[in-house]
Amino acid sequence: MSSHVTDPAAVVAARDAGDRCAGHLPPPAAYDEPFAEERRGLLWLCEREIVRFLKLWVQTIVAPVISSLLFIVVFGMALGDRIADVDGVPYDQFIVPGLVVQAILTAAYSNNSSTLFQARSDRFLNDVLSSPLRWWEVNIGVAIGGVVRGLLTGIVLLACAVVMTGVSIEQPLVLVVATALILVAFAQLGVIAGIYAKSWDFMAFVTTLVILPLSFLGGIFYSVDRLPEGWQVVSHLNPIFYLVQAFREGFSGTSDVPIGLSLAVVAVLAVVLSGWCAWLFRTGHRLKP
Amino acid sequence: MPSSRVGAVRASSITDPRRADQESRPAVPPALRVSGFTKTYAGGFTAVEGLDLEVPDGAFFGLLGPNGAGKTTLIGSVCNLVRPTAGRIEIFGHEHTTREARRLVGLAEQDINLDRFMNVEEVLVYHAGYFGIGRARAQARARELMEVFDLSGKARVRPPALSGGMRRRLLFARALMHSPRLLILDEPTAGVDVELRTELWEYTRRLHEVGTTILLTTHYLEEAEALCQEIGLIREGRIIARDSADGLRARYGARDIAEVYLRAMAQKPVAEERA
Repeated sequence: MSSHVTDPAAVVAARDAGDRCAGHLPPPAAYDEPFAEERRGLLWLCEREIVRFLKLWVQTIVAPVISSLLFIVVFGMALGDRIADVDGVPYDQFIVPGLVVQAILTAAYSNNSSTLFQARSDRFLNDVLSSPLRWWEVNIGVAIGGVVRGLLTGIVLLACAVVMTGVSIEQPLVLVVATALILVAFAQLGVIAGIYAKSWDFMAFVTTLVILPLSFLGGIFYSVDRLPEGWQVVSHLNPIFYLVQAFREGFSGTSDVPIGLSLAVVAVLAVVLSGWCAWLFRTGHRLKP
Repeated sequence: MPSSRVGAVRASSITDPRRADQESRPAVPPALRVSGFTKTYAGGFTAVEGLDLEVPDGAFFGLLGPNGAGKTTLIGSVCNLVRPTAGRIEIFGHEHTTREARRLVGLAEQDINLDRFMNVEEVLVYHAGYFGIGRARAQARARELMEVFDLSGKARVRPPALSGGMRRRLLFARALMHSPRLLILDEPTAGVDVELRTELWEYTRRLHEVGTTILLTTHYLEEAEALCQEIGLIREGRIIARDSADGLRARYGARDIAEVYLRAMAQKPVAEERA
């Protein structure tokens, strides 16, 4: 008869002979000592989230980069010659900021919504929720995967875009601040979607019918100054419009709205979504019945 | 499992000098103390109402009851996975949501809930990590438990590619990664073959012998009788009886624990008894 579980008798004998820590049956943990960490559980959770998407790097990094590069090739390089410069910026360079924003926010959102929904659906989230990790550590740990994935996607896409179009960065500080705020906002939005989702269809719905249309209507491919007045008003109600404008300011130093307004809108979005997330994790709403 | 074998295990526990040593030390708070625990779910269904339960340190306690009796709700609450509506839960004297309490509890759930993106070794190492264990110690412990549970050859395999028995063993190993003082096994042998079940029983006994408190829920009555020092019968969210297997048999005038169970569950509903 083959055995699946090693007979621990030898280990017990060794322990009885004086070595209480022998083998896999150590004495149980002391009950009256304060909790101490050799390495922060938060770091482990962050690492797990990053390792998860890196294992799927073709799907999580390469695919979205290629998808965005195709837009640059088709719209910027193939059709760009037939479109005049926009605000003095060649068209292939004009569309780069919006495409980078779209790639970053989609990566951050979809990473976190899928990792959390999968963890809820398969119930291995219980492994985290029953551990000594505090609610805010779980929130940060889960969100960090989307932040890093969004950042990596953006960097790779930007590097390719620089080579292909020669686009330059006029205001790096604006770009850094805008990137940080966008990553926080959409990483948290992904977490919220992952917590509320009841099926994979729900998350596909948000991506296809909310994020994608708002991105395209947010001025990725055009300047809203060229739209009729009514559509300009509608564009200003779209939060992604401000994200694109903040990025465009960082790249070319020009945008359709003041940079302060763009960053303020993104910051408010990040704060509101972070607050919502914090409430969900602190109360356990929808995570713990 | 013949009852004589159970008797032998118990006898060795009683005469074990380590037990005597434990008895001479200052009193350890109960491994689990549940007071006035009530859980009403969002839809208005009350799964558990006013439950009191105390499991002493070092006990091997079985919880038996039909589906819907409140076992999983109780375990979920103890493990910080369900929010109690009312009452207090303490683990070795610590409020159950504190980090001190959390690190003392290990849980092997009834459902196979393994991280599908990580391989066997990573499942174990990350679990230890969430409990604050450093990388070197976590990896060493993972290797140790993979060897114990015959999973070393599958260290790089992800859970979906494992057989049902291997997943069950991995679930068991994961619960032990941080050497919990209170191990909660929620139907740990559901769906496993007789051979593996016997091995898991034996291993669980050994864990108990070294001082781990074990809370076991099971639908296999012979499993509870073979393993547990004390059995609690839960029905409609209340403990209706608790005693050793012998004590329960005597109390219900039953030949075996199955008869005890049937008689206890066939009694008038708790609500009627209260009236």
